[in-house]
Amino acid sequence: MTIAIGTELPELTIEATPTFVISTALATRDFQDVHHDRDAAVSRGSKDIFVNILTDTGLVQRFVTDWAGPEALVRSIRIRLGVPCYAYDVLTFTGHVTAVDGDDAEIAVTAKGSLGDHVTGTVRVTLPGAGS
Amino acid sequence: MIDVEEAARRIAAKGESRPRLARDPVNQAMVNNWVEALGDANPVYTDPEFAASSVHGGLVAPPAMAQVWSMNGLHGQRAADDPLGAMMSILDEAGYTSVVATNSEQTYHRYLRPGEHVSSSIRLEDVTGPKRTALGEGWFVTTRTTWRVGDEVVAEMVFRVLKFSPAARRETVPDAGAVLRPVISRDTEFFWEGTRKGELRIQRWGDVLRHPPGPLPPDGDLTAEPDYVVAEGTGAVYSYLVHHHPQVPGKKLPFVVALVELAEGVRVLGELVDTDPEDVHIGLPVEVTFLRVDDELTLPAWKVRA
Amino acid sequence: MTLAGRAAIAGIGATEFSKDSGRSELRLAAEAVSAALADAGLTPSDVDGLVTFTMDGNAEIAVARELGIPELTFFSRVHYGGGAAAATVQQAAMAVATGVADVVVAYRAFNERSGHRFGQVSSAAAQQVNTSGVDNGFHYPMGLATPAATVAMVAQRYLHTYGATSEDFGRVAVLDRKHAATNPRAWFHGKPITLEQHQASRWVAEPLHLLDCCQESDGGVALVITSAERARDLAQPPVVVAAAAQGSGPDQYIMTSYYRDDLAALPEMGVVARQLWRQSGLERSDVDVAVLYDHFTPYVLMQLEELGFCGRGEAKDLVASGALELDGSLPLNPHGGQLGEAYIHGMNGIAEGVRQVRGTAVNQVPGARHVLVTAGTGVPTSGLILTAA
Repeated sequence: MTIAIGTELPELTIEATPTFVISTALATRDFQDVHHDRDAAVSRGSKDIFVNILTDTGLVQRFVTDWAGPEALVRSIRIRLGVPCYAYDVLTFTGHVTAVDGDDAEIAVTAKGSLGDHVTGTVRVTLPGAGS
Repeated sequence: MIDVEEAARRIAAKGESRPRLARDPVNQAMVNNWVEALGDANPVYTDPEFAASSVHGGLVAPPAMAQVWSMNGLHGQRAADDPLGAMMSILDEAGYTSVVATNSEQTYHRYLRPGEHVSSSIRLEDVTGPKRTALGEGWFVTTRTTWRVGDEVVAEMVFRVLKFSPAARRETVPDAGAVLRPVISRDTEFFWEGTRKGELRIQRWGDVLRHPPGPLPPDGDLTAEPDYVVAEGTGAVYSYLVHHHPQVPGKKLPFVVALVELAEGVRVLGELVDTDPEDVHIGLPVEVTFLRVDDELTLPAWKVRA
Repeated sequence: MTLAGRAAIAGIGATEFSKDSGRSELRLAAEAVSAALADAGLTPSDVDGLVTFTMDGNAEIAVARELGIPELTFFSRVHYGGGAAAATVQQAAMAVATGVADVVVAYRAFNERSGHRFGQVSSAAAQQVNTSGVDNGFHYPMGLATPAATVAMVAQRYLHTYGATSEDFGRVAVLDRKHAATNPRAWFHGKPITLEQHQASRWVAEPLHLLDCCQESDGGVALVITSAERARDLAQPPVVVAAAAQGSGPDQYIMTSYYRDDLAALPEMGVVARQLWRQSGLERSDVDVAVLYDHFTPYVLMQLEELGFCGRGEAKDLVASGALELDGSLPLNPHGGQLGEAYIHGMNGIAEGVRQVRGTAVNQVPGARHVLVTAGTGVPTSGLILTAA
């Protein structure tokens, strides 16, 4: 794999169906009602149930390793949350390499939904053999 | 009056909470649930043969699951010495009753393997505020969670939440639920997408700006395609009124509505906020600001240019 | 072929004007239509056309059912609020001129004070799913959400451009209320105001005081239109429609045409005016009485300019000169206008025009032969010139 500053990652599209929102919330052991109970979410001022933050971290990890391959070692995932991702929205993950140091690379990631940027973040990975 | 900063110092001084053992050791069943739900096909998590021949030499758990292991679960309670819980209670009492997570920064020192049992402990790192944010006045609360296997630190997380006061938010949008919402068409949706992002977007057809926007340029050219410019957001009051009566949903009486001629040459209408109506006059220099109503609607507005 | 002189208003009718009619809008419509037919010496079975405003809550077929109008060959509605008033007569005149119908009644009836109040914020207007709803998206959510506020924005610019003052607006209200004071049918009968009272009245939407704004009213008005020939054989002296016109201007919006070069003007009324003079062959100096739509005072000044009775910015001087008094050169709103008589969306002004030509008005302008009537301003609008046969 050749990487350089500016290398773009292939886009990842996630359809945040209610099933997706709920199954990921439960798989991350997040039982807050706003992630699985629409009535509760609405009564708390949200439009619908929405994706939880542990899932965001997981999706950012998946987006990067889908591209970097199974040998890549994820060192850190830093995310900043923007607008919510409600059920029925579609998230599009885009990213590009922002720094390369030997085998280590830093990738800037953005996940955009219909309301705007849902997550922006930075992932540091070690890519065995990338620096050679 | 609660001294939030003093309370924060007191909680921070207690240091890290006692390590709390996760309910379950790292286990394949939960990993399988997680990769299934998130659609992560990386074989190092689920394919023993592949994993054995990989850089890991055996199955590992997804690093992003670090926090999953120590979640409290459906009926779980925060630990009594959890500093985040203590800080949230203080801020609730101080009137900052709503919470939204803003940042999560996880660092993974090594991958975890099935059978390892992690513990977590939390330290209050920082409480900053009160800050005026789009959601209202609030405090940013930063904690650091450390996950260990035995005494070995395996992962860390800096987690930041905004604990804010919806009452403060009402200063700009007194009754957000009552705000008359715009009907949005395909021709105008870019404008409202812009305001959500803090951009005042003006439709552009070649060299010609048009506001309010529509599906065709002024010359009616059916083959033309519009784009938009993000206005600098400065201009001067072209005309205005001071609304006194009757009540208008989402507004506090009296208020000023101004028709502003932008530097770019088009006129855009919005409330002129944080200004004594007596001080408003035609020609007054203003700049754009944005009134967030909720996730979907942000209104363009004006404030006097300093 | 021209519309000029082809049709006539043969009957007028109205309910009382009140703040709480105590009956349904359909009942008001039926009473007004019935009164207009009686005035013309006609019966419901003579009617074959009905016209109203798109804003009217009474379907033509409902009015026909109530009154026993057996068949309709023509039914039509005109859009844009009060801008429809004179255009209902235009629709009717075109129908009778072309033989599409023989007797058409134009009507407007509402409980605009005791029922749905126009002066309040209308979320229905803000959220209609059509192009007007999309247009409204650029001002309702920002708080510009009442008719008075939409006018205030233009009025402020007018004051700035021409150096006029709130007192110049006030003189229009004082004049209307003076005329209403001697009109027993007027809500403000016996209640004239002074300029000081106008200035002291509370702000509604600065620069508009309460007394710059018309009242909200309950009531109904109907007008019977038939051919000029047939009108000659009916009960009343015919009042001929010498001209009837609609007008919409460049970059037109409903109450918020804020994006034109000149905000302090009403070009849609200019479109109407050009047609009225051309169609009727009359000149401004021929107009004996002007019934100008006066839901808000600033638009009366701007209409005088747009209609060519004075130059731009000179209306304040025209009003101050006394020319608009009953004994002046251009008597304005002898019935008291919508500021003084009632706000029936301009239809009561047309009825007043008919009375002036007939010579039966309570504040009659002696020898009035040609009356100019305009419809709602700030919106696509319409106008009439009514003359004696």
